[in-house]
Amino acid sequence: MKHISRREFLTSIGVAGTSMFLPKDSQAWKSRAPENPFACLVDVTRCIGCRKCELACNEANNLPEPEKDFEDKTVFEEKRRPSDKAFTVVNRFFSNKKQDKEGNLLPTYVKIQCMHCQDPACASACITGALSKQPNGAVYYDVKKCIGCRYCMVACPFEIPAYEYFNPITPRVRKCTFCFERISKKGGKPACASVCPTEAITFGRRKDLLQIAKNRIKQDPGRYIDHIYGEKEVGGTCWLYISDQPMEELGFPSVPKRPIPKLTETIQSTLFTYLWSPIVLFGVLSGIMAINKHKEEGNEK
Amino acid sequence: MKNRPRPLLDTPFWTPGMLVATGFMIAGIIVLAFRYTKGLGYTTNLSYSYPWGIWIAIDVASGVALAAGGFTTAFLAHILGKKFYKPITRPALLTAALGYTFVALGVFVDIGRSWAIWKPIIFQNHTSVLFEVGMCVMTYLTVLWIEFLPVIAERYGEKISILKSLNKGLDKFMWIFIVLGVVLSCMHQSSLGTLLLIAPTKLSSLWYTPILPLLFLTSAFAVGYPMVIVETTIATSSLKLSSEMDILSKLSRIVIILLGIYIALKLGDLIYRGKFWNIFDGTGQSNSLLIEIVFGAIVPWIMLLFDKVRNSRRLLFIASLLIVLGVLLNRINVFIVGFNPHFAKCTYYPSIGEILVTCSFVSAIFFLYRVFVTFCPVISAPKEGGRK
Amino acid sequence: MKKIIFLLTMLCLVVSNSYSSPDATTKIRKDYHPRPSTWVPKDHIKALKLAQKKYEFVKDVFKEDIILRQMRFRHLGIGIKDIKSTYMVLQSPFVNTYEDIYGPVRFMHGAHAKTLNENCVICHHYSPKDSPNKILPCRACHQDAFNPEHAGRIGLKAAYHQRCIGCHKQRQKGPIGCTGCHLKNVPDHKKLVKLPKDPTPTQVTQECLRCHKNAGQEMLTSAHWLWRGPSPYTVNHLKCTKHGKGTDVLNND
Repeated sequence: MKHISRREFLTSIGVAGTSMFLPKDSQAWKSRAPENPFACLVDVTRCIGCRKCELACNEANNLPEPEKDFEDKTVFEEKRRPSDKAFTVVNRFFSNKKQDKEGNLLPTYVKIQCMHCQDPACASACITGALSKQPNGAVYYDVKKCIGCRYCMVACPFEIPAYEYFNPITPRVRKCTFCFERISKKGGKPACASVCPTEAITFGRRKDLLQIAKNRIKQDPGRYIDHIYGEKEVGGTCWLYISDQPMEELGFPSVPKRPIPKLTETIQSTLFTYLWSPIVLFGVLSGIMAINKHKEEGNEK
Repeated sequence: MKNRPRPLLDTPFWTPGMLVATGFMIAGIIVLAFRYTKGLGYTTNLSYSYPWGIWIAIDVASGVALAAGGFTTAFLAHILGKKFYKPITRPALLTAALGYTFVALGVFVDIGRSWAIWKPIIFQNHTSVLFEVGMCVMTYLTVLWIEFLPVIAERYGEKISILKSLNKGLDKFMWIFIVLGVVLSCMHQSSLGTLLLIAPTKLSSLWYTPILPLLFLTSAFAVGYPMVIVETTIATSSLKLSSEMDILSKLSRIVIILLGIYIALKLGDLIYRGKFWNIFDGTGQSNSLLIEIVFGAIVPWIMLLFDKVRNSRRLLFIASLLIVLGVLLNRINVFIVGFNPHFAKCTYYPSIGEILVTCSFVSAIFFLYRVFVTFCPVISAPKEGGRK
Repeated sequence: MKKIIFLLTMLCLVVSNSYSSPDATTKIRKDYHPRPSTWVPKDHIKALKLAQKKYEFVKDVFKEDIILRQMRFRHLGIGIKDIKSTYMVLQSPFVNTYEDIYGPVRFMHGAHAKTLNENCVICHHYSPKDSPNKILPCRACHQDAFNPEHAGRIGLKAAYHQRCIGCHKQRQKGPIGCTGCHLKNVPDHKKLVKLPKDPTPTQVTQECLRCHKNAGQEMLTSAHWLWRGPSPYTVNHLKCTKHGKGTDVLNND
């Protein structure tokens, strides 16, 4: 009696447990990335650190006035991160050791904002779908659905989403919107890309931009390293970077090449498509329960 | 053995422990008042890099794991039909119901827009692990209180007729809720482990493994009965009731198997991924993992192998407590210690406010457990005055 | 902060007093060097007109190595004598892609050509495909930014900025900041300034400082605030060093 029950007990663990080994078949997972979305190519070698993109972003999104105005270059003294008051920030690096004639180190400026991943982890993680990948490429945030659980912040490999921690009742997740409203209009461009004086930000279709990036690298191999950050990173992003040094040197995290949500979505879909595993488990358990009840009644008789 | 569950109205209610619990609860309420007037930033040490703190790691993740006693005993007593274990089902069920109530409350205060907590029911995102966890916890919480309804009806059914009729109506379908409870538990216990698989760059490789959901599920199985042993021992000793050692020592034999499976999976996974020797790196994280595995799993497992331990109330309690703390540490490790955001300016330590709220939730569980035990027939005890 | 407000308030008092005096309306500042009534900035008007001239977009360009091009042009005798306008105003709708934060650059075409040893190809790097000897202005090829049909061709604004800043940096000559070449377009303060109907001097100063915070801070480090030396324009106290603003003219502790 005891042995049977133990075996049954173990089988039921098996049903729940071993099924988790099934998702090894990665073919099942399909990317839901838009075919050829809008994108931006940032050419780090062109950026002059004028912070006009920050200014334009601030105006376009009606963000509060910054503590130090946008002319102030002392902000470069520390590495900043996007926040609920600034969706994009430019940081200065002296990592490439290049010098001018007088021996002053030449700075490299890097703009950071939401990368608008092709398969965004935040949108996959979001409990209500408040974050979603739009066909035009933007990872869009719908505050009406948000419950403020901050799982998007846990999920984002670039640690971009910021949060209004000091708003007690209606905090929002804040991040670059890819100027969703602006680019939805015909001919519309993101504020930062249109203000940029040197076209360090090129706005266009992702496939075209990848081609442009490849051409630039090919035409001036001394100026760039042969890598487009965002082409393959986390399965591809809508913001692409080319640079004279690895982006990891410029404060970017090293991220895997596979889409971040692939593993969890594979596990979830393998286990819970049509809720098959809970239904099977329910059937097995109620069967066991019925058998035992039957036995019990037999014993009582 | 012939004792039946009954309200323990004859025991003193305001013990020193209860007063301490009340103190914590008041402190927690004060902190929560600040949280709802000044914001999460004012009361917690959360940041953009560390969006989840101990309210999620302890109140929610560990709360769910430690409430596993509910479904594991339900499985044993109701589904496998082991009448022998009946006396511990009601206390275990109560702990689970209270545990999950405070899991839900933990989520409620932690999310920024508490008033929007119902939204996942309408706006569903099926790729979200959190959505599945949320739905399971929500349903299971309901199921737990439905399962607990007969206990309340038994006591107050005579006075409140709706309770009685509701209880009668539900009686026929109770098996559905019992099975559903186990199914839902298996679902979200494992999915809690899937939660952090979305952050491969942040969760330390000591814990990041594709079988994390399986580890979470097996550890929940393993911690269910030790949790019952711990709470029964605490309850029976503080209420001066019979220790139920015959049931508990039998339970502990099942724990050997369940914990054995967990340890085998955990170590096997570490060896398979080639991370086994990293346990001994000596860093804070690896030490934390070492403590989790050695003192939270291997030592109590070896202890339980001995008859002497299983039959000694004190040693069995210690072994079970080690397992409980081991699983607690595991959840904290996965959600906080092993979480390495790339851009973190400083590591996360919980603020006083966060700790107070967590303490107040634990105290509230103790407090309400006592209230229910006193006024409802939960714990089996000899008839009034019939005690030693 | 208090210090700044106090000081600026005093300044405002002086100003407002002078305006409120009875002959304020009749007071006219005499221009000692008046501009002749017939004078017009001919070059500037010509340059503005030139800036309006539209060029048809050059779709295909003749690309060649910059050194070869330079040699070819030398050989053809194309040089500084071919410059039609030595002064230009770089004002084009293609440049105003976002907002007019800055005014147009006044560009000394001739002076730049001279400094660059009459080497036109540094800026005029390509020609239209069908006429490789033709030199066209920047805006013939560089027009709208992000033109998907001519991907890789940068817009006029970027062409200007990349060439100017790049060259200034490389030669360590010429400005590289925004205001080195541009005048800042001062926004209409009628819309920005919000004051009650009859503002007190303090209110006016506070309103100025609301945006110009740095101006207030800078004031505190200037001689206007810290002066402790002689006061040569103070009658009877010309050599007295006790009357500076840093001492007793204003009570600024």
